[in-house]
Amino acid sequence: MSSPIADLSYRHYEGVLEPPRHRWWAIAKTTMRQAFRKKVMWVVSASSAWYYLGMVFVMFVLDQIAANRAPNAPDPMEAFLLRIVWKDQFLHGFGFGQILFLLGALILGAGTIANDTRANALLVYLSKPVTKRDYLLGKWFGVFLPLLAIMLIPSLAFFLFGLMSYREKGFVSQDPLLFLKLLLMFPLGAAFHASLVIGFSSMFNQGRLAGATYAALYFVTNFFTQAMVVVHVNLTMGRGETSEAAKAALPIVHSLYYASVDGLNIGMAKAILGTAGSPYFGIPSRMQMVPAPPLLPVLAIMVGLSALMLFIAWRRIRAVEVVG
Amino acid sequence: MAVAQIRNLTVRYGSFTALRDFTADIPEGAVGLLGPNGAGKTTLLKTMLGFVKPAGGSASVLGLDVQRDERRIRQVIGLMPEQDCHIPGMSAVQFVAYAGELAGMPSAQALRRAHEVLEYCGLGEARYRNVETYSTGMKQRIKLAQALVHGPKLLLLDEPTNGLDPAGREDMLELVRSVSHGKGVNVLISSHLLPDIERVCDYVIVVTTGQLRATGRIEDLKKLEGQPLDIELREECPGFGDRLIEEGFRVISAKALHWRVQAPGTPEELLPRVMRAAGAAGAQIRGFGLAERSLEEAFLAAVGPQGGPQFHV
Repeated sequence: MSSPIADLSYRHYEGVLEPPRHRWWAIAKTTMRQAFRKKVMWVVSASSAWYYLGMVFVMFVLDQIAANRAPNAPDPMEAFLLRIVWKDQFLHGFGFGQILFLLGALILGAGTIANDTRANALLVYLSKPVTKRDYLLGKWFGVFLPLLAIMLIPSLAFFLFGLMSYREKGFVSQDPLLFLKLLLMFPLGAAFHASLVIGFSSMFNQGRLAGATYAALYFVTNFFTQAMVVVHVNLTMGRGETSEAAKAALPIVHSLYYASVDGLNIGMAKAILGTAGSPYFGIPSRMQMVPAPPLLPVLAIMVGLSALMLFIAWRRIRAVEVVG
Repeated sequence: MAVAQIRNLTVRYGSFTALRDFTADIPEGAVGLLGPNGAGKTTLLKTMLGFVKPAGGSASVLGLDVQRDERRIRQVIGLMPEQDCHIPGMSAVQFVAYAGELAGMPSAQALRRAHEVLEYCGLGEARYRNVETYSTGMKQRIKLAQALVHGPKLLLLDEPTNGLDPAGREDMLELVRSVSHGKGVNVLISSHLLPDIERVCDYVIVVTTGQLRATGRIEDLKKLEGQPLDIELREECPGFGDRLIEEGFRVISAKALHWRVQAPGTPEELLPRVMRAAGAAGAQIRGFGLAERSLEEAFLAAVGPQGGPQFHV
């Protein structure tokens, strides 16, 4: 069979060329396209909405019960709406989504630079009119944008649902700036994950090793965070009065609670939303929530860690390996 | 016109000097950068691309300064690196199209061009296969395809026949020769293989230990001093030497049917005298031409036989 291309001789390319400022976007697009070819990425994306779906389900059930209740019987939906704090639902959605955001970051970012290093792809990139800055920016956005979409789309969908259905039940009046706060909180969370995973990816020449290292850091620090939750619960839910020693220890425990990837993200979300949180799904509980940390120190740590990891990536991206 | 001008270029990796006070003009056409492993050939290519900052001197490629205009230089250069390189998880057509996009081509144009270039490089049938499944020969071809996709004016080929079997090597050299002649693409081929350079290039630059040792057209480098002539006889003729001396020739060597002689004058002026000598001696001449040395001899003469580099033939 003859080739579909009739003229097989070499011809010079005389077509248009896009300006150099668009190169990073070509890299970002390809990074995203490659990630979304993996089915697991779609599973992670769909799963990230589970808390909101749970809330919608609970409200649907309560609505049904309220509609079929006996005359003069208490309205369970009214009671539920009085118990819940709307902005806390976004905090819980963000908090419960952390493990999925980690998975998303690993799928999107763990191999993004590591695999390029293994395959000498940096020579291909950097021999084209692409700078180190274009490459890093493209890779970063290639991780950040899908991660942001995974985080933000379910939250915005739930926000729209709340706005349309419960505007008169305090959805807007509880926090008129909620929408803006969400627009600040989710990009910061996505940017933090993206920067960390890109940094780790640049340190290895195998995506799996980079991913395992980032996951190990995440889980080890998260274990520490969970240990602080146990300490916090013991100190605040003990029998009788909280002792003076316990009162003195609490601020330290609360600070340590945020000393993890997960903790920093949740601390940042609490600080931006201006809430310590409330029981999940509006289920009554005696448990006291860990108070929100001050925003600036949390942001400073997140920005500092992100900058450090991006600096490492910047130093590691080289077209030439010099062997001494 | 020179494609690249290099002036007193010095490149150091820490305390190691890879290129020392290197000066050369790289002319248009197919140029060989010849030297043993570790001579500084790849360093020169990487300096031209702006990957390595020179410690001294200057270089310009297609009129652009390597230190100031890196991005513009890479727009008009295509690099085929020595080592395997690809973007993981891509088929050949995706890889080459992506390389085109990185060079600034719009997606649709890059895809169309990728198909064309892959066909040209002989990968048309395998273009939808993942590059990671390719053989060594196919990987060499895809490296050439990604270097060609954006229509570079200068193609830098670093050891293009590395790891290829004889048939694959022939195919690759034919492909390189084809692209470097009459297609408007200038090619600089870095290699330590003399026959590869001789087969493809018209001009050669010899580098050893980071220094320029010889430069010029291959046919000029192969010419012997004093323009001796080679004469080939049909049958042995013992009296031919005496007749040649009578005609004013100096016999340099005589091995059965092959004679190397020298006399003042151009080959056109000397031919009637050779014919006269042959007629007088009763010899039949089968071949006559300017004597040449092999490329290897030329390079050994250029770099010196004692402790000189080891070229592969």
